[in-house]
Amino acid sequence: MQSSRFRPDLKEVDPENRLLARSARFRMPAPFIRDSALRVSGLLNMKVGGRPVYPYQPEGLWWEFSLERFKYKPSTGDELHRRSLYTFWRRTVAPPNMFDSANRQTCSVKPSRTNTPLHALILMNDPTYVEAFANLAKLVLEDSSLKGDDQRLAMAFASAVGRRPKDREQAALREALATSRTHFNEYQSEAAELIASGKLEVPESTAEQVELAAFTSVAQIVMNTDEFMTRE
Amino acid sequence: MNPIEQNHQHNTRRQFFGRTATGIGAAALGSILSQELMGARSADDSKPDSDIPLGCHFKPTAKRVIYLMMSGGPSHVDLYDYKPGLEAMRGKELPDSVRQGQRLTTMTSGQKKFSVLPPLKPFKKYGKNGMMLSTMIPHTGSIADDICMVKSMNTEAINHAPAATFFLTGSQIPGRPSMGAWLSYGLGSLNDNLPSFVVMNSRDQENTCGQLLYDYYWGSGFIPSKHQGVRFRSSGDPVLYLSNAKGVSRPLQRKMLDHLGALNQEKLADYGDPEIETRIAQYEMAYRMQTSVPELTDISDEPAHVLEAYGSDVHRNGSFARNCLLARRLAEQDVRFIQLMHIGWDQHNNLPTQLEVQARDTDQPAAALVKDLKQRGLLDDTLVIFGGEFGRTVFGQGNIDNKKKHGRDHHGRVFSLWMAGGGIKPGFEYGKSCDFGWNVAEDGVHVHDWQATVMHAMGIDHEKLTYRYQGRRFRLTDVHGHVKHELFKNGSSDGSHS
Repeated sequence: MQSSRFRPDLKEVDPENRLLARSARFRMPAPFIRDSALRVSGLLNMKVGGRPVYPYQPEGLWWEFSLERFKYKPSTGDELHRRSLYTFWRRTVAPPNMFDSANRQTCSVKPSRTNTPLHALILMNDPTYVEAFANLAKLVLEDSSLKGDDQRLAMAFASAVGRRPKDREQAALREALATSRTHFNEYQSEAAELIASGKLEVPESTAEQVELAAFTSVAQIVMNTDEFMTRE
Repeated sequence: MNPIEQNHQHNTRRQFFGRTATGIGAAALGSILSQELMGARSADDSKPDSDIPLGCHFKPTAKRVIYLMMSGGPSHVDLYDYKPGLEAMRGKELPDSVRQGQRLTTMTSGQKKFSVLPPLKPFKKYGKNGMMLSTMIPHTGSIADDICMVKSMNTEAINHAPAATFFLTGSQIPGRPSMGAWLSYGLGSLNDNLPSFVVMNSRDQENTCGQLLYDYYWGSGFIPSKHQGVRFRSSGDPVLYLSNAKGVSRPLQRKMLDHLGALNQEKLADYGDPEIETRIAQYEMAYRMQTSVPELTDISDEPAHVLEAYGSDVHRNGSFARNCLLARRLAEQDVRFIQLMHIGWDQHNNLPTQLEVQARDTDQPAAALVKDLKQRGLLDDTLVIFGGEFGRTVFGQGNIDNKKKHGRDHHGRVFSLWMAGGGIKPGFEYGKSCDFGWNVAEDGVHVHDWQATVMHAMGIDHEKLTYRYQGRRFRLTDVHGHVKHELFKNGSSDGSHS
């Protein structure tokens, strides 16, 4: 398969990749990123067909938009984790986490691909994603085949981007875990809060809560790397 | 230069700026380069035109716009366009010679009579130049010497959504970029911590009108969606998902972002894609917005006399008054385009009861905003615009003898709009309607002319700022629009203003 790496020599020959000197590298559309996050964290509901579903939305958002005529009632249970394709869509306004979607007023032949701080806020803080971070953390902590931090970190990373971390990346992950672990050891109530935001059952022991929160925090950054949201 | 070389240069230049500036992505040059770099360019440039900011075609008279969009169609007949002859005509049929068989909306086209309805309240002279305004809007009267009243606005649209879409995007059909998006695209951002185009909406408390505010009113159409307006909400997070998940404190967030940055740097070193660099910068801006936006919307540091000036409604989240105050705070932070939309001006059958309420809710805050900007020296380079998508008919809708239940229909053939600051001539009236406030009598200002004029104030030639889409270049004013140079302080009728 052709690599999408930007090689210096190719930059000379084909700076804008018009001659396909390298493979295309682009950020995935928002629905794909959401589906990936659900898949990686083991939450994705693969059910096919049926009525549209109502993923999380900030309270009152469409109530305002519709002059208080449309009340958005979020789905419950695993309906929250259906593929993005099944998300209910209003004609006049896109779901808030489906950024860069076609505006449905004019013909669109290709998706808009912008790179804004608003997207970063969604991918860091939307409850759908926060749940995914916590669940990925839970997966690697509960996997008995994994021994020690390094293996767990490598698995979290590989689950998200499909390759093992390089040494320097492994080191960065280790530092990140040290940071979040130290933090949650000091602020244990925050650990419980974060687990609760991730809609996880809160483990009994404080030590377990701290571990889960610490890995959740690492999962958050792994799933916010450029590579996670990019097709390369 | 051959096209391959040109491409090459474009690419390397883009990557260079990606590394050194906070301006992101390839759009108009203005939005690629940060102001800092623009400054550097100006300093190095010994040419006499170096005081022209990047992205501008000539020296602008305004740096930012605050557009107070009065959705529903405020009645120019009752508020701004004084016609002394109307009282004597009360209840009489609007002469055919005035209407000339022009079409009406289906809300009144079936009416048997088109009885002239004079203004509800008397008019009075305000300011040094004796601008005649309704006594319903005394606060606007108090800024009569600062505003330019355009009394010859006109539009072809006769219904709310197409008319508002026309004002905001230059086309009655949805899908074109809105004015704020064009300006963000053409001029870029002046602030690294806030979006360049911010929208805030409010409505009448009585909820008497049924217009929806579609998000394409601040959309980016076919230009990149990063230029679309960011709507600040009045409840919950002002910007969607601005707050961290519970349990994620700011100090932790900072440290984890550094680790995220390290991971992204590894990828950047390996792959060399400038988009990665951009993404790192955007995560940092998101982090800064998490403090800059709450700081902006927290008005607890405003002194009592300032709050008082905007009226007691300023204490209600989401009110027009609060939004006007926030607009000033955004202007102070150099946000490029601030769009406030206020619903509630559609008085078809409740004019006698609702117009006054509506005037009260908007008059004081809008005037306070102008004064506040002026007092801070910001009015000179901030263009404030106040107006609706059309005006209202001089004839009454329904039975005008019914004391409470009558009104006026939509009317776009002539209506009024005011502007202040940003190089616009203060204490000035422009254009005339006929004696019935029905047709343009002198110096008509079509919506496209007005758009061309606003772009001109921002230093943009409306014919030159274009975007290619589906095989042709588009612009805000389509193929129309003439700048009204007479509206500028230094303007003249031959268009030779500097």
